[in-house]
Amino acid sequence: MLSCLRAEGVDLAFGYPGGAIMPLYDALPESGIRHVLARHEQGAVFAAEGYARVTGKPGVAIATSGPGATNLVTGIADAKMDSVPLVCITGQVRSALIGTDAFQETDVFGVTLSLTKWSRLVRTIEELPAVIAEAFYWARSGRPGPVVIDIPSDVLKAKMEFAGPVKFQPESNPAEDSDSSFAQAAIALLDRAKKPVALVGAGAKLSGAVADLRRLLDRLQIPTFATVHGLGAVPPDAPYYLGMVGMHGTRAANLALNETDLLLVFGARLDDRVTGDPTRFAPHARIVHFEIDPAQLDRVRPCDLSVIGDLTETVPAFSSAVHRVSLPDWRGWRDIACGPERAELDPRGLAQPTIRFLDELFSRLPENSVIVADVGQHQMWAAQRYHSSSPRGFVTSGGLGAMGFALPAAIGVQLAKPDTTVLCVSGDGGFQLNIQELATVRRLGLPIKMVVVDNKYLGMVRQWQQLFYDRNYSETDLSDNPDFVEIARAYRIHGNRLNEDAMRELPVAAATSDTLERFLKSSEPELLVFDCHPEANVYPMVPAGAALSEMLLEQE
Amino acid sequence: MQVFGVRYRNTQGTLMRILNAVSRRGIDLPYVQATPAEHSHTVTLLLEVSPKQIGQLRRDWLAIVDVAEVHAGGRLSMIAKPKPNWIAPAYPAVSSGVAVDGGARTATA
Repeated sequence: MLSCLRAEGVDLAFGYPGGAIMPLYDALPESGIRHVLARHEQGAVFAAEGYARVTGKPGVAIATSGPGATNLVTGIADAKMDSVPLVCITGQVRSALIGTDAFQETDVFGVTLSLTKWSRLVRTIEELPAVIAEAFYWARSGRPGPVVIDIPSDVLKAKMEFAGPVKFQPESNPAEDSDSSFAQAAIALLDRAKKPVALVGAGAKLSGAVADLRRLLDRLQIPTFATVHGLGAVPPDAPYYLGMVGMHGTRAANLALNETDLLLVFGARLDDRVTGDPTRFAPHARIVHFEIDPAQLDRVRPCDLSVIGDLTETVPAFSSAVHRVSLPDWRGWRDIACGPERAELDPRGLAQPTIRFLDELFSRLPENSVIVADVGQHQMWAAQRYHSSSPRGFVTSGGLGAMGFALPAAIGVQLAKPDTTVLCVSGDGGFQLNIQELATVRRLGLPIKMVVVDNKYLGMVRQWQQLFYDRNYSETDLSDNPDFVEIARAYRIHGNRLNEDAMRELPVAAATSDTLERFLKSSEPELLVFDCHPEANVYPMVPAGAALSEMLLEQE
Repeated sequence: MQVFGVRYRNTQGTLMRILNAVSRRGIDLPYVQATPAEHSHTVTLLLEVSPKQIGQLRRDWLAIVDVAEVHAGGRLSMIAKPKPNWIAPAYPAVSSGVAVDGGARTATA
């Protein structure tokens, strides 16, 4: 089993041992595979995801049967939504007991069926090498995703000589190929467009097409924006770049999307957080959708031209064609869409100190740092203030929105990139969902910089309650939060605290600056708690079900 | 009602993934039949779906690793008529040969 994993290039795995998986753990110390012991299986699978998200290589998570396996489920769902290559290996009760409701038996194959790209319950040791080869193939290929290998303990105990790597060759699937003339068709649409825009999603970086895409966009010079997973694919200082689009996107991006007559989509699913009301999404636009996964096409709106394939092939083909033709003059449209009248307002209101705090931190980060954001208000503030051209520099649970993601994911990121500054930004709610992973951070001595934006609420839910439920703050009050600095101390991690007063004036006071510098430059894990106003909100905000043009702005 | 046919490789879970694309949308499934077909298998489904769901289902099915082909718009005559006096196979005996609940199982064993 472990030789097969080595053959797939696995040198790091995250997991948590238990009864049915014990034979694997018994062999692990001699395997040459480094194992990171998380303190909860969800921590293990999020860490594996973090590793995969910044390397592009499959992350490996190991758990035992029953509760161990079911604790992986949130991570598996997360990987499915965000196209993360993930291989989950679960122990199963021995073959003779399967189906008898044995101790710690769960039908993990059935439980994860709808969340995985592929899965197998291994029946004999003889089929194990081929199963592992196939699992890694599907995790990596096409639109990456999670796979599960469920292995009964008797199969794990069985012995077989490792006969070398197995190469999996899939039977050809008659996938829908785009007509090779798509480039001309897209250019014809461009030629007629008065207000074209481009939307960049995760597919750009997952496929490795960032350089080709930048070359194309530099040629087109049309207003361009990104999904939360597309951040970093377009240099933030590009004159045509408008930032993030969607529910908490920039005003300029959402307005441009509302007005455009031609939308070029590169590797994005167009989920509801991006589109708002789908019936009023890009209401005047024809859509050209570049996408590797045919299942993502036409989900929200029929597109006028589907370009199915890997962006590393379709984008250069389109780019070459675009570079050979003269394009209409879109300067007037670009000047409006990217002009100063639509520029973002300086942060104001109750969120201003927190946004300034994030700005101060981000501006001090070394180039190519990785920001790992949890889920909630801090996530959106961080996404809005992320200004880096590092394509894999912003990691978050975007599709599933799984609170508790950031801390364990940051562990995986830091292990994948030991020389990189990793900044983990959580809220007080999410931090407590996987707070036990502080033990993993401490044991490994990982110099992760952990920020907790503490507003003593489940802030994003509270914001919705404020705006759409008459301030009925039902079960979102966390005012009895523990002292996170003291908790960190219990894990032998140094912690510190800043409050909003430190960010009232710019530039920040010398003492605040020193605190931030010490925090970021430490070679040890560090925690910094920032006390955020309890009623600070994220703006702009598109209410659920509204059109993107119906953004709420601060003070409205 | 719409008839669909999906050709697939009969690997672990593939049929369940095909059916799951239906159930996750809350679509009723009044008829389903899976049969071997040359080197692969085919499942025929009768579904009450909207035009938008037809496209979604087709793409979801094609995204399943071992699905080879999807057809929509088949004839209702493809649906086999239910047999009026369908008889279930006998309940198997417990392997130990000990009757669990008395006469019924012993009688069919």
